[in-house]
Amino acid sequence: MIFLVAEHKDNKLKSITSELLVFAQRVSRDFAQPVTAVVLGASPGAVADELETRKIDRVVVAQHEQLAEYNPDLYVEVLKGMIEKEKPFLVLMGHTTEGMDYAPRLAVALRKPLIAGCVDYEKQGNRLILTRQIFNAKMNMKAGLHGAAPYLATASPGAFPADEVESGGSAEIVNQPVTITSAPRRKVVERVEAQKGKADLSSAPIIVSGGRGLKEKQNFNLVFELAEALGGSVGASRPVVDAEWLPREYQIGSSGQTVSPRLYFAIGISGAIQHLVGMQSSRCIVAINKDPEAPIFKVAHYGIVEDLFKVVPALTKIFKDLKQV
Amino acid sequence: MKIISCIKPVPDPASRLIINDSKTWIKDQDLTFVASEADNYALEEALRLKERHSGDVVVISMGGEEAARVLRSGLAMGADRAIHLLDPGFKGSDEFATAAAMAKAIEKDGGADLILAGVQSDDLGTGMTGTMIAEFLGYAHATVVVGVEAAPDSKSLKARRELEGGLNETVELSMPAVLTIQFGINQPRYASLKGIMAAKKKEMKTWSAADLGLTPDAIGKAGAMYEVKEILIPERKSKVEIISGTPEEAAAVLVEKLKKEAKVL
Repeated sequence: MIFLVAEHKDNKLKSITSELLVFAQRVSRDFAQPVTAVVLGASPGAVADELETRKIDRVVVAQHEQLAEYNPDLYVEVLKGMIEKEKPFLVLMGHTTEGMDYAPRLAVALRKPLIAGCVDYEKQGNRLILTRQIFNAKMNMKAGLHGAAPYLATASPGAFPADEVESGGSAEIVNQPVTITSAPRRKVVERVEAQKGKADLSSAPIIVSGGRGLKEKQNFNLVFELAEALGGSVGASRPVVDAEWLPREYQIGSSGQTVSPRLYFAIGISGAIQHLVGMQSSRCIVAINKDPEAPIFKVAHYGIVEDLFKVVPALTKIFKDLKQV
Repeated sequence: MKIISCIKPVPDPASRLIINDSKTWIKDQDLTFVASEADNYALEEALRLKERHSGDVVVISMGGEEAARVLRSGLAMGADRAIHLLDPGFKGSDEFATAAAMAKAIEKDGGADLILAGVQSDDLGTGMTGTMIAEFLGYAHATVVVGVEAAPDSKSLKARRELEGGLNETVELSMPAVLTIQFGINQPRYASLKGIMAAKKKEMKTWSAADLGLTPDAIGKAGAMYEVKEILIPERKSKVEIISGTPEEAAAVLVEKLKKEAKVL
């Protein structure tokens, strides 16, 4: 049995859940294990119905009014009970701010292995080997799991293609009675949009983004100049925003904006997965970085492996000249 | 308020990383180690909370000389004392074994009101250890924290968490609690010369596995939940077209290709 714990919001599945379904369906084929989607919520009927249409074996619904909102203590209590009872081979969760909030606690509560941020897996004999990225996606690690199942894993967003999820199942929906005994140590006070400023990049046709490779705040002018010459907008990777070179609203990536312009320039951006998920669906991606091993080249269509301080001014000059013609 | 700040020593981000011969880790003998970047944000937040509420900041780290080094830096930044988990048996610990040992050490030190750790490390980057410590100790926790506000009585706190898609969530936690601190929550201070001098007189406890009551099967590789089978450079699946030439030539070729091949200009 493979468990996947669905993430949902406003009665709809989040995209990570489709990615978990793809992960589960693939492991299911290779290890001949049925798939069960687990949904926790106060009234998750619509979400369960959506899951039922996927090619899986079972949807288990854990319904309780206290589960109206995600809570780590309650998720650990409910999931621990289900996992100890059914002893699944593998439990898949999202490598998200929700999944990674409770998965480590769950692993300790169960005293079972957790491999976080998986991007791939393989079958070696009968053993499951999970692959994850380390050193900011510069290297991959293949991890072998100790002891008997269950094993826990979180899937890195963007690693399993959501559009490859197979539909057409006849999953059985099972309502799981839930008893909650623990008093949660944490409660949500409010949920707000973080400061959303002028830089709405979601519909920008051309974006020029800069990263830590620019070295200093004043060098970001190179990015602004190229964007201006191109008639494009400016974006940034997380380290740039953290260093306060630009306000948070410019950040592109999992905790910032998701963009898919016609043309995306990544300048001095190494390409951490958190950045890639926010821009990898751009139609044409150009990466300028002097490190040929930088993960940004994995998603780029054109690359220039050179000193950005030489290439970017040359590009800006060409576009300026073109404008004047 | 007693605040414990966890620091992981990682290779200096500027270092060139080479996979070792057995392909199980990098060649780390000759590398310089520094505090993992997110842990600096955590320590800065701990120091600011201390300045607002008074109390003590204790830095804790596991490892050899590299751990002692990041602890000394933490003391120089302003932490009051340090705990160094030092034992050859700790080598090979995964997140689970590390969190178990740190939880034991924190218990031995009398617990804490608040434990802070970076949201994820620069090497493994799993973001698990802090949250695992919370479960071992039975403390409340919150991850990916971008703002902290503690109640004056140290019984509860409010933490702002960063969610996906530009959302923030404020949660209220009972204390003691563990928070994993997101990059960019503050601007970490640099150690002053005075701080560096003062650090030399500050207390650094050194505890072995035996001091923590941990048996050899609970630490290092034996206590780990998984083993590293292989470290590798990922294959490039994409068909990126690398444009060569001088910067001027490459720029000119790129512009032509964007116009005629990709047709995006």
